[in-house]
Amino acid sequence: MNAMPPKDKQLSRRGFLGWLLKGSLAGSALLGLGMLGRFISFQSAARQENQYDLGAASNFPAGTRKVVVDGLAMLISTEEGFRAISLVCPHLGCPVNMTDEGFSCPCHGSRYWPDGRLRNGPASRPLTDLRLKITQEGHLILFKN
Amino acid sequence: MKGHYFLASVVLLLVVGLAAWQQDRTPQPIAITPTLTGQVEYCLTCHADIPEISQSHPVATFGCVLCHGGESLALTADLAHSSMRGGANPSDLSVVEASCGGEMCHSGTPQVERDHIQRVTSSLQATYAGAIAQVRYAFGAQKDLTARMGIFAIDGLAAFDPSLENSPALMIFASNCLSCHLSAEPMDGQEYSRWTGCSACHSPAPHTDETQVHKLTTSIAYMQCNTCHNRGNYSLADLQFHQREDAPTDRLHDYYQPIADFTRCEWTLDCEDCHTRQEVMGDGHIYSSKKDIQYIRCNTCHGTLDALPLTHTITDENDLALRLAFLNPVIDLKVGDSILMTDEGEPLWNIRVIAGESGSAPAYELYSKASGQRYTFNPVLGSTCQQQADQQEARYCHECHATER
Repeated sequence: MNAMPPKDKQLSRRGFLGWLLKGSLAGSALLGLGMLGRFISFQSAARQENQYDLGAASNFPAGTRKVVVDGLAMLISTEEGFRAISLVCPHLGCPVNMTDEGFSCPCHGSRYWPDGRLRNGPASRPLTDLRLKITQEGHLILFKN
Repeated sequence: MKGHYFLASVVLLLVVGLAAWQQDRTPQPIAITPTLTGQVEYCLTCHADIPEISQSHPVATFGCVLCHGGESLALTADLAHSSMRGGANPSDLSVVEASCGGEMCHSGTPQVERDHIQRVTSSLQATYAGAIAQVRYAFGAQKDLTARMGIFAIDGLAAFDPSLENSPALMIFASNCLSCHLSAEPMDGQEYSRWTGCSACHSPAPHTDETQVHKLTTSIAYMQCNTCHNRGNYSLADLQFHQREDAPTDRLHDYYQPIADFTRCEWTLDCEDCHTRQEVMGDGHIYSSKKDIQYIRCNTCHGTLDALPLTHTITDENDLALRLAFLNPVIDLKVGDSILMTDEGEPLWNIRVIAGESGSAPAYELYSKASGQRYTFNPVLGSTCQQQADQQEARYCHECHATER
């Protein structure tokens, strides 16, 4: 014959509801914190950098032509100094390809001479010149806009 | 009282749980920032598998929203698609200016050959003004065949409104016979299947399983044209469309309706190999009949007994012919090449002059815009043709050169 547990060990109805109340509040809090964490940790599209440190200017002796900024600009070093041109076609914004004769846009066929001058349309402008600065430490800083 | 707290906590748990479940179902967004707009778009979250629409419109440059509209940051289909232009077809003429227009795109000036939208929206294919004029004339609604009304109002044309017409025949015409202009939904059947607007010609037809091909092209095979043309005839007698009754199984029999006469080159090539941009897309003027804008004849390419066809030598790297050849590179056209040219000065950029033997007439090579296949042909000059100077229309050529079917 089973003995009844002592009355003080039994979970009363009131006590059971109390535990459920605490449990559901704790569950809500955990879920809410999880959602908040996900919300806070959301990474929107990476903000595009506007300026790039290309390293020491002495790394680019005269005659150097180097593609920089993930292929979207070219640094041209000459005896006269440094110059940077955008490798984005000014017609509608497609990245241009390098060819033996300069640059060509794969979208609509505009072509440019190696120094960025317009060779044929539909673009009506040369490749855009980008601003360059040399820091006191001798680093080349390229500004994309 | 504690019972109320308990109930409230359960409701709170349910609400928070539901919100967490909803959040969990939301896909992790895939963002692109097109160089042309600089605005983040999440469209690729669901549409990453859609192929590039064309070499000239890469998604990294144009994105999706610039052409299609829609809510760029929405992550549910209903919201994302809620403000799309033209449904799946932003080239529908009702929205084409917003989708494809712009000075640098397709509604620029004629001087830089960017007035595509202006030309198309005033073309016979869009306005149907010629057919409307002819039928209104036939039923006494106008005194001559001059185009006065179009499918929509445009400079020089009023909108055709059958409810304002006195003749019941014109209402039947409107109901039965306006299924082939560029704003009309096609008739039922795969043979008629096409998009509206620019995509009626420049995009492949939707598949029978309703999957869609995301493509814009200037390489257009005759089957695309035949979703409207050569499928049958509209009869003025009963104002009905009568489907052609033959059941063609090959290109020779499918190309033209059985009533037509044509030569080998006409059915071997594709429509766009001969018919020019102006003829097909219009030149910005209102015409009353397709005869008024269709001007290519056999002698445009073959010349006459007395004269070679007109040619144009490319001397400038900005030549329109080079731009057109770039978009559909079936021919390696370059500065210094001579190509054929129409009476109106339009370049036939896919037909190049090739040197004949010393002292002999030149020959020509044509590259099919749809297949890329190369054909060569000779001028009439120097041949045994007995064509008369005043008999330059195709029907005279067909007397000797028509294909037997």
